[in-house]
Amino acid sequence: MANEYDVQKKGIAKFLDYLCLTPLGAIGFLILMIIPFFPPFNQDYLLRWFILAAIMGAGAMAFDFSAGYIAVVNFGFAAFVGLGAYTSAIVANHWSIPLPLAMLCGAFTSALLGLFTGAISLRMRGMFAICLTWFIGIALMGLAIKMVWLTRGMLGLQTPYFFPPGVSNLYYWYPVLGVSLVTWFILKRIARSHLGLAFKAIGQNMDAAKTSGINPTRYRIINFTVSSALAGWIGAFYAHFIGILTPDFMHTAKTVEFLVIAYIGGRGTLWGGFAVAFPFIWFTEMLRSNFDYLPGINLLIYGLILILIMIYYAGGMAQFFQYLVDKYKDNPTVRWLTT
Amino acid sequence: MANAATESAIGESAIDKIDQTIGESWIQKVTGWVFSAGGITICLTILVAIVASIHKGPYILVNTVITGGMWALMAIGLALLFSVMNIAGFAHGEYFMAGSLTAYYVMQPIGKYNLDNPGTFMAYVGPLIAILAGTLMCAFLGIITERLVFKQLRKRNREGWLLNCFLITIGLSVIMQNGHQLIFGADFKGILGYWDFPSVPILGVYISMDRICAFFIAILTMIGFYMFMMFSTAGKTIRAVSQDEDGARMVGISVDTVHIMTFALSCGLAGLAGASLLFMFPAYPTVGVMPLYNSWFIIILVGFGNVAGSIPGGFMIALFQVVTRSYLGEGWEAVVPVLLISFILIFKPSGIFATKVRTVWDE
Repeated sequence: MANEYDVQKKGIAKFLDYLCLTPLGAIGFLILMIIPFFPPFNQDYLLRWFILAAIMGAGAMAFDFSAGYIAVVNFGFAAFVGLGAYTSAIVANHWSIPLPLAMLCGAFTSALLGLFTGAISLRMRGMFAICLTWFIGIALMGLAIKMVWLTRGMLGLQTPYFFPPGVSNLYYWYPVLGVSLVTWFILKRIARSHLGLAFKAIGQNMDAAKTSGINPTRYRIINFTVSSALAGWIGAFYAHFIGILTPDFMHTAKTVEFLVIAYIGGRGTLWGGFAVAFPFIWFTEMLRSNFDYLPGINLLIYGLILILIMIYYAGGMAQFFQYLVDKYKDNPTVRWLTT
Repeated sequence: MANAATESAIGESAIDKIDQTIGESWIQKVTGWVFSAGGITICLTILVAIVASIHKGPYILVNTVITGGMWALMAIGLALLFSVMNIAGFAHGEYFMAGSLTAYYVMQPIGKYNLDNPGTFMAYVGPLIAILAGTLMCAFLGIITERLVFKQLRKRNREGWLLNCFLITIGLSVIMQNGHQLIFGADFKGILGYWDFPSVPILGVYISMDRICAFFIAILTMIGFYMFMMFSTAGKTIRAVSQDEDGARMVGISVDTVHIMTFALSCGLAGLAGASLLFMFPAYPTVGVMPLYNSWFIIILVGFGNVAGSIPGGFMIALFQVVTRSYLGEGWEAVVPVLLISFILIFKPSGIFATKVRTVWDE
């Protein structure tokens, strides 16, 4: 992807470039679109896991936008997602407004929280933001448990579905792909703009970025707010897909899940997390269903993978992909597919 | 890092400071301290403790003092890890858990022995053996972690050390929690009490022997820790590395050994806290989350890497939580701290004691 800008593209390639998709990415996306019609995947049960995986993947993209670009880990990410979900559900329950609008309300609330958090903590080094978001995540979960009159606490909040209950999961599959594509589009467009350049500069070396005239606080707050807004939006989609919200969804363990997916995928690539989410969720479910006499084995393995990746292969799967691309870069097909 | 050094050099050169101190009488010094952020907070803490104790009963003071010492021990370990190795230890609660688990399994046979033959020497020493076992186990686990994980990372890491370490400690925490669940099960593994003696009345409240012992263990450990850091050669090398790693290496200190010692000390302190509080917090996979939360709260309150400040910080946080719990009810003590933390980060991001500890901020 080194020569993104120096090739004049025409027709479909230009459109794909506008969507920030390489031909390979577009093919992958098309495969995802048609996959529910092929035998092992055309069961409703499997499709449900696919939808959850896509939600996790989209969340991992939003997470990676701040973790990978400006090196600020949002350690309360699941709570930001959950805040969007709860807001959307409550707004939709109380005023019965159209669900897409309710989703935007969820995104707006999360963005507001992101702005507030960022304004407080992003003046300082990244560690402060990690701590503050962690505390906020725990506090939001505590609030969701405690404010029973609003959230019904641990009983779980009923949320309106997008489609009448009992429909095939296929109805949700295309909307969730749409949500993922829009997330990708927004994040990648920003990452390609001047803002993205500033983000990368800040993430790589904040002092150098400061010296070249970038105001790090401002850019970091912008980045963090966008990431939070998308988190809330994705959470709102989750709320209207799953039908019932419990405070457990805001737990730090859920944040760790997003984090592991994003880092296995490859930090700072955005697409890595989305691509990894599918095998990852499948692996989780396989372990959980086949080794139910070993509770927690899946999380144990995640922890191990996270540590190994951090020590030995910091680029994650995206680094491996880049290695393959570099190895076969003389092959014209490979080059066409990846630019 | 260079920035901070120049700022402090310009902001308060040594001569300025000496001039100030000579000119002040001790009354001015005391009033100056009282009106600094640290002074205000400490005075406020004492005031709140007295008022709440009068209003709600002295159990508030007792609970604060007992748990506060242990949170301070946890936070000392965390601050040490941060100032010496620049590691943000999010797996620290899991060493607390490991300490309590070890103490539980060591205490099982000792408790049975005490039940069979009461009144022996073992009734006094047995619990101490269990607590010591928990401490040593955690120190050992800490050394293993350092060798297997952080040493490997140090060899390979190029940039973003702090963030990478943070993520690794999260991985460690997940592994240890789920490893506990996998091997020992998720049920509560607790004991009724360590020392089977009648409670002691203090200020009209009956306090169990365990709590008194826990308090004295905390105080003695703090004193011992202070002695170790100030007067032993090993402690001096640790302080040297925390001030300047390259300089320490230059004068022939084995930084590798210091890292091992730091990890052993820091994890051992967490294990000691876990083992001593086994009677309050039974061992289960996620028992470490609350202590971890508390110790990070302390760290932010007193400033990153401030080892000495962790001690008053521990008592402050304990009081804060006891008061929140008794006035607002169970469950709110997770919500209220955020307001305080936001307040600190807005007005005093370097902590209430305005830390001057050198920390390697490399993002």
